[in-house]
Amino acid sequence: MQLKFRHFCIILSLIFTFSLIVAIASLFIVPSPSEIIDSMRSAEMIYSLKLTLITSSISTVIVIFTAIPMSYALSRYSFWGKSIVKSIIDLPMAFPELVLGLALLLLFGKTAIGSALSYVGINIVFTKLGIVVAQVFTALPFATRIAYTTFESINPRYELVSRTLGYGEFETFKNVTLPLAKDGILASTIITFARCVGAFGAVLILAGGSYMNTEVLPVTLYLNISYGNIGMAITSGIVLIIVSFIAIYAFEKLEGAKNVSKNRKPEHRFRRVQT
Amino acid sequence: MFLKIENLSIDLGEFKLEDASLSVEQGEYAVLIGPTGSGKSILLETIAGFYRPEHGSIKLKDKELTVLPPEKRNVSVVYQDYMLFPHMNVYDNIAYGIRKKRRSETDIEQSIEKVSNVLKIKHLLHRHPDTLSGGEQQRVAIARALVVEPELLLMDEPFSALDIKTREELRTLVKDAMNEYRTTVIHVTHDFEDVFALATQVAVLHEGKIIQVGTPEEVFSRPVSEFVADFVGTNALRCTIEKKEDSGCMLNCNGVKLWCADSGTEGDSVTVAIRPESIIISREMVHTSARNVLQGTVQSVVTRGHLTWVTVKVQNITLRVVITPNSAELLNIHEGVEVYLIFKASGVRMVR
Ligand SMILES: Nc1ncnc2c1ncn2[C@@H]1O[C@H](COP(=O)(O)OP(=O)(O)OP(=O)(O)O)[C@@H](O)[C@H]1O
Ligand SMILES: [Mg+2]
Repeated sequence: MQLKFRHFCIILSLIFTFSLIVAIASLFIVPSPSEIIDSMRSAEMIYSLKLTLITSSISTVIVIFTAIPMSYALSRYSFWGKSIVKSIIDLPMAFPELVLGLALLLLFGKTAIGSALSYVGINIVFTKLGIVVAQVFTALPFATRIAYTTFESINPRYELVSRTLGYGEFETFKNVTLPLAKDGILASTIITFARCVGAFGAVLILAGGSYMNTEVLPVTLYLNISYGNIGMAITSGIVLIIVSFIAIYAFEKLEGAKNVSKNRKPEHRFRRVQT
Repeated sequence: MFLKIENLSIDLGEFKLEDASLSVEQGEYAVLIGPTGSGKSILLETIAGFYRPEHGSIKLKDKELTVLPPEKRNVSVVYQDYMLFPHMNVYDNIAYGIRKKRRSETDIEQSIEKVSNVLKIKHLLHRHPDTLSGGEQQRVAIARALVVEPELLLMDEPFSALDIKTREELRTLVKDAMNEYRTTVIHVTHDFEDVFALATQVAVLHEGKIIQVGTPEEVFSRPVSEFVADFVGTNALRCTIEKKEDSGCMLNCNGVKLWCADSGTEGDSVTVAIRPESIIISREMVHTSARNVLQGTVQSVVTRGHLTWVTVKVQNITLRVVITPNSAELLNIHEGVEVYLIFKASGVRMVR
């Protein structure tokens, strides 16, 4: 049989997917179950898991409450500096997390802003607060991007109808826009949480990744690899994988549900000049 | 004047609405027509409060609207694609506006009872919008807009997405509803049937300018410019039914007698439309099966592209006829010549 172009494409995608599955599976196959259970029970792992869940939850709340107004502004209003704000949501595609961490470290460590904050008792560098700050900066662009796409898919005429029926701008947002954006915002929340749990580069640099202090799951993985403690490293890897699989699954479900009800896609795109 | 729009200008970059002026009396049904992209929707949405005008004013009962946000204007909107809130059922969609006015729930129920009787949607109240047909959705959207008793109702191509039969049903319903609620309406359409069935006033918009305002008869029989003549195309005449027959009726249109194949009641006033391409021009009297043969004088001959527009004065009425430039030349048709206009009774369509 002649190898056609399409066979080449199909086979390549199968090979890649297969390798990825095997790689992920080896996480579960290589260590012995007892080793994993012991690692799970270790004080370090429990500390790390707890800290990860707490910081990620706080960061997710902050990110979502920032991303919703930000993406709504981008989608509905024209304002000074809009194009700059808009470029932010494209940033994470190309911007290295480590550099983001370094930039934040300099901002909070070496500038007047940082000194002013520590003067009033807010210390960000090498603290647990630093973890949250790093997670927020890593996840915010992703969340804003998804929420923006969601608002763009909602015809602003729904809002005008609500306004003409007597409701103000915020009431309209609450009664009409938000319920229509529900699925997209939920998807955005899930992705945000997953990003926060998995955030590593910026967290390591800004919060310092110190043992049982600013140690979140990706940091546990990294620290234990460097000590040659494979069991602990693999266990944190497994926990991280489980979290992201749940997130991906939930996200796919929501996206699927949204595409089914896509008949409400707007015909006209226009922007509000007056409010 | 109830609604007075004066010198309204909007600049949206690629598009400008320029010095639009329009006055609408209370209870009038104004229909806005114009080619696609002429700014009809923008004008409507500016009245609703979506766009801020560069200058000019919109006064409703002497109250300046341009400074008010949409929720303070008491103006309702109905769109072609309904815009029913998909997360609410029909009842809640209709109740949405009156709930804001914080009336008691029984009060709200009564208002909804009334409006759903008028628009014949009582059986739909518990349903969800996405389970309704287009015509049903539009009836709900109109109910939602009317139940708050707006001072002004704006409709942007409300029937465009519906089939012909549903359109006709909805026109009748809308007419009844407007009588019931005594609402003043501005209705944007591409369908001249809407004009004939509903309008008491017509405005023609072209490239962001309002170029003619008048009664449907005025606009259709005395277009102010070639553009309007071209755009409206059809001849519209105001007639009374003089005599009823089995196969139709005889009309008196400003003294000119016409046969019409539609039936009606003697003594009624009606508007009839005659398509300019359904009229045959002849230089001599001919005997044909067509029942309408009128003698008149050519007032003007204009050739544009592949068509020649001939305006013929028959006693007190003017009819526009379209022929090919070739025929115009063969028949030697020019201003001042006597011609006969021939058209069938079925070519005279009663539109109201
Ligand atoms: N927000 C906007 N910014 C800039 N231009 C716009 C905006 N909204 C509409 N336009 C343009 O203004 C012009 C008029 O638009 P409008 O929607 O009022 O046309 P219309 O008369 O309603 O046409 P149709 O009959 O197709 O509905 C169009 O060329 C459109 O592309
Ligand atoms: Mg339009």
